[in-house]
Formats: sequence, structure tokens, C-alpha cells
Amino acid sequence: MTPPVIELRGVVRTYPGEPPVRALDGVDLRIDTGEMVAIVGPSGSGKSTLLNVMGTLDRPTEGSVLIDGVDTRRLAERHLCGLRATRLGFIFQSFHLLESARVIDNVANGLLYQGVSRRERERRAQRALDLVGLGDRGTTKPPKLSGGQRQRVAIARAIVAEPSLILADEPTGNLDSRTSDDVLGLLDRLNTELGATIAIITHDHEVAERVPRRIAVHDGRVSELVGATA
Amino acid sequence: MTSTAPTPEATDVRLRRSRLRPSDRVRTGLGGLASRPGRTLLTALGIAIGIASMVTVVGISSSSKADLLAELDELGTNLLQVRPGQSLFGDSATLPPDADAMVRRVATVEDTAGIISIPGDVQRNDHEDEPNGLGIVATDGRVNDTLGLTARTGRVLGSSEQHLPVVVLGSLAAERLGIDDLTGGPTITLGDDRYQVIGILDSHPLHPDLDRSVMIGEAWAKQRYGIDPNHSAIYVRVAKDRVEVTRPLLARTSNPAAPNEVEVSRPSDALEAQTKVDDNLQNLLLALGGVALLVGGVGIANIMVISVIERRAEIGLRRALGASRGHIRSQFVIESAALSTLGGALGIALGVGATAAYASSQGWTLSVPAAALGGGVLAALAIGALAGLYPAAKAARLDPADAVRPHA
Repeated sequence: MTPPVIELRGVVRTYPGEPPVRALDGVDLRIDTGEMVAIVGPSGSGKSTLLNVMGTLDRPTEGSVLIDGVDTRRLAERHLCGLRATRLGFIFQSFHLLESARVIDNVANGLLYQGVSRRERERRAQRALDLVGLGDRGTTKPPKLSGGQRQRVAIARAIVAEPSLILADEPTGNLDSRTSDDVLGLLDRLNTELGATIAIITHDHEVAERVPRRIAVHDGRVSELVGATA
Repeated sequence: MTSTAPTPEATDVRLRRSRLRPSDRVRTGLGGLASRPGRTLLTALGIAIGIASMVTVVGISSSSKADLLAELDELGTNLLQVRPGQSLFGDSATLPPDADAMVRRVATVEDTAGIISIPGDVQRNDHEDEPNGLGIVATDGRVNDTLGLTARTGRVLGSSEQHLPVVVLGSLAAERLGIDDLTGGPTITLGDDRYQVIGILDSHPLHPDLDRSVMIGEAWAKQRYGIDPNHSAIYVRVAKDRVEVTRPLLARTSNPAAPNEVEVSRPSDALEAQTKVDDNLQNLLLALGGVALLVGGVGIANIMVISVIERRAEIGLRRALGASRGHIRSQFVIESAALSTLGGALGIALGVGATAAYASSQGWTLSVPAAALGGGVLAALAIGALAGLYPAAKAARLDPADAVRPHA
């Protein structure tokens, strides 16, 4: 049996303070291959912490996170980084593109920390750019692109390593509604046509409505809204 | 896959650490510089000034030394001078009349020439009596070969002119007497006698006393003034590389009765000593250059710290893309070292340029030791890497979750 792409078991994340903040309070969550999930919650609900824990950028205080069946608690930092390089793709609200690097280099950076050769990185980056409809903009620099195009570049960077899981943090937060539609349509297409597993973190219920499975975060706890597979 | 449940690490062959190729490490480090060319240049300037000043100091001193040594080589470092010193009672001693001949018999001696100082005033004409510090020496013509004397104009005092009332002027003597060339057949007076000037010598840096003298024939001097035949100086040309063994012999040979009353010196030593005096100044200037480098290094560290703060998001992104702390650290250390090396290269170009300009203004050939160039680049590299350590550690310590957050 294939293990789930990601599984959270009793994850607790507390931040020290007076009193300590329990940002995640016993989260159990499982996402399987090919799923597209929206994680919805108001700001302060703990969804950013959840994203960071899912993306191994933050470690849980208690509980465990398994990615492709690998328990990340047991991993040394260098293997955790390797895991991020190979199995996780990130999309951020503010795109996080390197402004002075060409579009194709930005995308190719998705493979940089896997030790892939430059030529191979560029070849695969071009393919990813073709997929997001920016195949002809490789030599442009990000400042010349519109917000929607920039987010497409970021999406291309997230998929170039063909990760097991794509984590999108408010991917439409900086975009107008029409461009948001485009970007969500693209994510949807990547999910249905290429079978990419995607988790979208958002506070926007309109965005969440478009996703088949929705999970609500509230006060550090999660609850399934619709479409749970398990 | 087996159905038992071994540890995930054992089952998963795809589990690996993040990797960054060495070429990509360098490229990532350089990328940060290329994205801010203006700042890069300004920051590198500090190091450039430090390296430039050091290269210039070393270059100018080396060029001048090379020039002086070449000159010394030409003048001859195998020339010794024998002079009477003082007797035990503090009186001026004299050399025995046959000292010259005795010295010439030493096997390692190639050539000798003695001169005799004659008391008396040197004047342009007999209406003047201003003291001018010029001396009169009598020579027998051999001194031309032994010292390699050459005439700037006219001719040197040859053996055929030994019995004639003619005179050859040292370069400084000619200047003081106001005689530039031989047009109009200039004459000077020595005491009450008028002499025809037949030549003016080139300046001879090894023999400043001859520059200040006028030379007359020894034979003429003996006949006209009845001078005693004791040499006031004997120049001794020694076989090359036998100078050190010959030198101690000369006192005993020239005055066996009282060797302690003889002074033996090597004129080129005095010139060489000048280069030693320069060393102190050079060290001071080098230290100043070192201070400039230090300040440049601190400037780089400062800018790198600012850069790390500004580039939080980039650092967070790289961590999300799989960069380890080590990758981040090396990126910033390489960036800092490259920044500084750029400054070093710039400084070398500036320093060599300044040295070349100065050397050509002095008529020297340019000589910058390769060690100064290589050392300059290496010093810049090391300072940059060192200056980058703290900012790089700061960058590597950033919490990735915090760094990717917008406007954190």
C-alpha cells in the first residue's frame, strides 16, 4: 500500500510565552496522492503554523509528520533539507522570485539543491514554464511580469522537481479576482491532468469553494468540511 | 518494498541529503553581487584602496630599489677604497708612499689608482675668493679606468696630459664654477695659476668627493707644487666575488707598520644603506595600507549584515527549496570573499597603474614583485571570507518559517 503523501499525527506546536501559545493543538491530518485540498481558516487560526509544519520549515513540539511515509522527526537537518528539495514544492503569497535572475533561472532554482546539473535544470525548467504557459518568457526578468505571470513562474518553480506535495500559502492573496481565477485554474489543471497533490492554505472561502476537499482550521484544531477521503 | 515495517530511512532509497554542486555554490555566491552592481563596487572600493596603497608602496620601493641596484651593479660593487685614518693619538695618519704599489700586488686585486689631495682654492678667476667647498686632486690617469670615469663633455684627464697645466672638472665642481661646456675655452685658477678646462665629468654617485673636485695631472702637480707623494685615497678594484676575502687584507698590505691607521671602505655600501633607510618608511606606509584593508574588511562585514537583513525572504525561499544551513552560510561567505577579491583586483590595477606612472616619471623601469600581486589577491580573499563569517552565520541561523513570511 502506498503511504499517504503527508500524514500528521497528534501534532502540537506551542510557542513559548506567558502564557504559552498553542498554535496547533493535536492535529491529525492525512493527504493522499493526487488530492487537492484547501485548508481554510481565519488569520490567527494556526494555518500558517500548520503550513510550516507540513513543509518541515518548523518542527512540531509533539506528534509526528510523515512525508511519503518518512517520519521527519527522525531526520537530521541535512536529510530534512533533502526532503524539501525533492518532495515538497512551495508557492508563496508574495511569489518570492529573485528579481535579478531570469525567469528560467528562478524556475531552475527549484532543482538547485538536488545537485542537478545546470543544463538539466534549464531543460526541466523550460518544460515547467511551458506547462504554466510562460514557455516564451524564460529570458525575461521578474520585474517585467504581471502579478499573475509572477505567480505562474513561482508555480513552475514549485513543480519543476515533481514533488510529492505542493504547498500553496495564500497563492492568490496578492492577485485580483480575474488573475486569481487563472492561477487557481492552473493549479486545478496540474491536479487533474498531471495528478499533482496540492494543499492550498487560504483564509478566502471563495478560493476554498473551488477545491474538492476542504479542511477548516480553528484555534489550532482541524476539522473536515467536505470531501474527506478517509 | 517488503510488507514488514523497517525504519523509513532503510526502506526509502530516495531519501537523500540536499546537495549543491561546487560550481553552483560559487554561482549562487556571485549572484548576490551581480544583482547590486553599484553597492558591490562601492563596498569593494575600501579593499581596493587598501590593496592599491600597499601595492604602490611595494611597487615604488621595488622599482626604485631595482633601479638603484642596477645602477650599483653598473658602478661596481667590487670597488674598495683605502684611506688614511687616524693615528693612536688622534692625529691624521698618512699612507706610506708605496701603498699603492703594495696593494696592487695582492692576487685578487685587478686594478688600483691613487689620488692625492692638494690644498688650495679653486676659483673661476682670480677676482673671486668666495669659498665654494671644491677640492683639488692630482691623479695619474689610471683612475679613469679603475673608477670607470667618463666625461660629460670634453675628455677625461689622460696620461698624455700629465705634464700640462690642464684640468678636468667634477660634475658638481663644474656647476659651482658656472662652467656648462667648453665653448670659448674656459679656464679656472688654482691658487695663482690659470688652468685650461679640457673636460667635465659625468656625475659618479659612488664618488661624491670626486664630483666636488677638480683634477690635475699628478706629474704636473709634483713638478709645479712639489707635493709629497702620499696618496690621500687609493681605489682598489677587486675580482668580483672576492671582495670579502680581499677587504681584510688591504689595511695590512697598504701600511704594514700601522694597519690600524688605515680605513678600508666600500663606497657602494653607502648607497645600499639608502635602500635600508627607505625600509622604515615603507613599513610605515604598509601598516597604513593594512589599516585601510582592515577598515575595508569591516565595511564589507557591515554591508553583508545589511544584505542578510534585506534578503531574509531570499534566504527563506532557499531554505524552502532545500538549502541547508551550510549552503546558506557558504553562499554568503563566498559572496563576501568575492566582493573583497574584486576589490583586491581593482586595487592591484590601481596600484600597478600608480606605480607605473611614478616609475615612468622617475625614469625607472616598472618592477612590482609577483608576490605583492599574489599576496594582494590572497589577502583580499582572506579578509573577505573572514568578514563574511559573522553575516553568513547570521543568515544560516534565520528561522526558515519566519523568513518566508511576508513582511516579517
